[in-house]
Amino acid sequence: MTTSTAPVEVDEPIGDVDVVADRPWLVIVWNDPINLMSYVVHVFQKLFGYTREKATRLMMQVHHEGKAIVSDGPREKAEIDVARLHAHGLWATMQRDA
Amino acid sequence: MSPKVQRHGDGVELVFDEAEATLLGGLGEQLRPLLTGEAPNTDLDPVRERLFPRAYSDPTEDEAEDDWQLAVHGDLVRERVEALDALTTAVTAAGKRRSRRIVHISFEDAERWLTALNDARLALGTRLGVTEYLDYGKVPSEERGAYEIYGWLTYLQGELIEAVAVADDD
Repeated sequence: MTTSTAPVEVDEPIGDVDVVADRPWLVIVWNDPINLMSYVVHVFQKLFGYTREKATRLMMQVHHEGKAIVSDGPREKAEIDVARLHAHGLWATMQRDA
Repeated sequence: MSPKVQRHGDGVELVFDEAEATLLGGLGEQLRPLLTGEAPNTDLDPVRERLFPRAYSDPTEDEAEDDWQLAVHGDLVRERVEALDALTTAVTAAGKRRSRRIVHISFEDAERWLTALNDARLALGTRLGVTEYLDYGKVPSEERGAYEIYGWLTYLQGELIEAVAVADDD
């Protein structure tokens, strides 16, 4: 599948630490009334290779708390993960770690 | 009548009656325009928004969102239309035995079926405004047929997940 290639920042001031760029992106799955619990577990296992236990724990967190962080990493990885989740009909978004 | 879904060799066997097979075969016509955006006024359709949500929750990331949509939207549409085609083709081509349609699909195709069934449920469920704890007794009579289809698709998807889920742990 195609992924976006965001331009790399090249004009960083020397010696200045880019704190923002170091913060990982979080991929969040939100609760919705349609997706089956068993389907959500299945998709987490399939896409991320999580064990059934971990996938079930994340699904239950989505169900009870309304959302769960299911993966994190650089922007490009988060964009791919969100696209894969959307391809499977899950409601996922990404945001920078606070 | 409930569909029969079970693991069978290297895949899954599904048995439908004629009404069920007709319903599944007809999903293509109903769902494809929503996936491809060919349905009229789809820009404002909450179904489209649910099928293709935003990636970036932060509104200041609109530029990144546009780039992301540009990069992935075509693939998301193509992949889901292919999943839908896999389902409708298999049902339509399935052999008949005593007015039953017997469908054999690989585990790979079962994944496509799960995607297509889920998209159908997202589209129908969003249109009906279903809530997490459905009370079928409170459904208005004019919507009862649509809710029955929704319930049936939910049951079928659940059965199919059960049939393939064992493969997750293999």
